[in-house]
Amino acid sequence: MIGTALDIMSKVAPPRGAFVDHPVGRTFGPPYDRARNDAVLVKALAELSRFTRSGEIRDLHCEWQAGGNRAWEDELRAEMLHDR
Amino acid sequence: MAQAGAPKPPRVLVAPSNPAWCPIKKPLSRSRVALLSSAALRLADQRPFIPREDLTYRLVPSDPLAGEIVIDHHSGIGRVPRQDPEIVFPRSALAALANRGVIGALAPFHVSFMGGLRCHKEIESEIAPAIAGDLKGAEVDVALLVPY
Repeated sequence: MIGTALDIMSKVAPPRGAFVDHPVGRTFGPPYDRARNDAVLVKALAELSRFTRSGEIRDLHCEWQAGGNRAWEDELRAEMLHDR
Repeated sequence: MAQAGAPKPPRVLVAPSNPAWCPIKKPLSRSRVALLSSAALRLADQRPFIPREDLTYRLVPSDPLAGEIVIDHHSGIGRVPRQDPEIVFPRSALAALANRGVIGALAPFHVSFMGGLRCHKEIESEIAPAIAGDLKGAEVDVALLVPY
């Protein structure tokens, strides 16, 4: 599983979990960013052989914004409320 | 503002009753890879999913040129992925990895179904085994689930 919701992934315990710290619904990057799509997928595939037990979750250390800026969390909440 | 409808039953997260583990048997460069998406996505000419408790799934051709992807999932996160489904369903990126030899081959199809279903029993006893059977029939070695 390649997912953005660490809490849910921890609860459902996939056999192999790759955590991407991106906004939900943007697992492989911003729209039309093909380099980012490729980079996240390559990172996830590289982890495949490193899992040793079912339920393990490995952090792919993907940053949505450089420098660990997490302003996107508030933006996402506002977007979801707007689109609800 | 959206009208409030009948209250939804609470969402319950359920882990599989039998934790799955299947050893990696081949190097990635010789593996056939498929994507699994819970975005209820499909080609425009495939039968639409019907929110919210649609228990069917679609086999979506893995060729990125096979046609436009439509997302039927009802989630509030849908506006941005609908602009570019590749950000939740990296069909083109996976095809590019096959061309570069990073993976052995694409599966002939990827699989999509409706995420957020509350029929856990049917998922575990019906949908999941049926999907697994299709993947096994297509000799898929690695299935990458991307939750929506």
